[in-house]
Amino acid sequence: MIPAKNKYDVIIVGSGLAGIVAGTILADHGLDVLLFDENIHLGGQLLRRIPEQLGEYSPKLDKIKKIGFSLVEQIKQKKITLMNRTTLMGVYPPSEILVEWNREKTYAFNYECLLVATGARERFFPFPGWTLPGVYSTGLLQVMMKSSGVLPARRTIIAGSGLFLMAAAYEYLKNGGQLLGIMEQTPMLNKIKFFPQIFHQSAKFWEGARYLSLIYRKRVPLKYRRKVVEARGEKQVEEVVIGRVDAKGRLIPGSEKTYSVESLAIGYGFVPNVEAAQLAGCELEYQPEKGGWIVKVNDDLETNVAGIIAAGEITGIGGGQKSINEGKLAAYNILRHLGQEKDSSLARVVTKLKKERKHHLSFAKYFNSLYRVEPQSLLELSDETIVCRCESVTVGQIKEAVEMGCYNPNALKIATRCAMGKCQGRTCAPIIYDLLQALCQKKGEEIGLFTVRPPLKPVSIKALQDSVRQQA
Amino acid sequence: MEDLRIPAITRQEKVKLKVNDQTIEAYAGETVLAALMAAGIKILKKNPVSHQPRGALCGMGVCFECTVTINGRPNVRACMTEVEDGMEIKIGE
Repeated sequence: MIPAKNKYDVIIVGSGLAGIVAGTILADHGLDVLLFDENIHLGGQLLRRIPEQLGEYSPKLDKIKKIGFSLVEQIKQKKITLMNRTTLMGVYPPSEILVEWNREKTYAFNYECLLVATGARERFFPFPGWTLPGVYSTGLLQVMMKSSGVLPARRTIIAGSGLFLMAAAYEYLKNGGQLLGIMEQTPMLNKIKFFPQIFHQSAKFWEGARYLSLIYRKRVPLKYRRKVVEARGEKQVEEVVIGRVDAKGRLIPGSEKTYSVESLAIGYGFVPNVEAAQLAGCELEYQPEKGGWIVKVNDDLETNVAGIIAAGEITGIGGGQKSINEGKLAAYNILRHLGQEKDSSLARVVTKLKKERKHHLSFAKYFNSLYRVEPQSLLELSDETIVCRCESVTVGQIKEAVEMGCYNPNALKIATRCAMGKCQGRTCAPIIYDLLQALCQKKGEEIGLFTVRPPLKPVSIKALQDSVRQQA
Repeated sequence: MEDLRIPAITRQEKVKLKVNDQTIEAYAGETVLAALMAAGIKILKKNPVSHQPRGALCGMGVCFECTVTINGRPNVRACMTEVEDGMEIKIGE
């Protein structure tokens, strides 16, 4: 859809839970809202389903997804401008953004308030062979099954760290996949200590129980303290070597076991997509238990840049409930900011939401720290292991550059070309931050980040040409 | 060739795609990446630096490892593009 105008009261980047919750509230209060997303369908990463055009399929949904999908349907009926396949290229405070639509055209839009709800992506932990075709993220496994109804391969191992491995395993087994094992890198002991906490979050508890019940019923080996040592194959993955690790996460020599597979799905938690906010000049902070670099916000979710609000995973990895909470909080704050707060009872609602948010945050921090793979374990990797996939930069090249005095990401980039490929460092940056921490024995906040510049993602020349022609 | 589609879904409109010299079947509403994976195709390109084979990693538009040439346009992310009947896809470049 091509919008008729370029000025809006509120522009929302991202149609995940936070974005659609906020968009719905703001549209209901009569504000002029543009909500756009890079994906084909609205809903972000959590709300994925078989599109109507493809066919009929109605799987059992949990509470959050039921709420989410009904919001996706509702928002399409509202007086709001929705754009899909639309990628943010640049943010220019105090009022302008630049987007590319469908690789066809670029548009400049103006905002009074900008809500950045860009969500999260997957975190990776490299190993020799992780660039082989057939090694992919647990997210890809989920996306293929949920959005297109396809199994990426028959015989798979799921490895990495986090509850998301169980979710992917559950979905894969339910759809007829042959799962050879689930290999969790962190110890079981953590989870037992964690157990009493989960009763405060009953939805997550039952979700976990449902996953485990199917995994046990299908007799899939679920192992803790296991890590991927290597993926092997001539042109694509054929074998995966899994080894046991000690309490400090170090590989126990001689514990390696080789599996014959068609694919390997890996996931190590999530990284907030802070690039857009960073480009806008929003202050970031380093909080490993919230996912690493996050956007710094106050209780009202305001960033330090006037008119820019952040909500959802970019303020700290916390899942669907936190995103819904922050979507509401962001919307109410924007209403107040734009002088649209006519309802006096809103103050009470906001107080309640802020209290809930504290609860979500403390749970998220605890939860994330359980599954964190320590930066030190990157030092075990062989020098040949690729870190930056786009530019094929190895651990050895990075070590060499650090020895030469490249102690921060930008210096490393100049020395090795790491993070200069098509993904613009989205895949390797979190790994490089961790690797620098381990090599330089510094904290994440001391290491800093790669500089972000427009365009935020590669833009097609055709789209740029068309924007020029429009204005001429 | 084995079809990796989940049988529980009642699919509607069938389309044909040309992948290099091979013709594969897909369904409207699938992404190009899903159609390739369903046909068992994992190798999508060579890395420009190492010249080693690569395939999709993230499936959600982040990693750019699944970029292919579609209808003559290079560098299109297969995971962010829906199939269309008669689409010509070049992989392995």
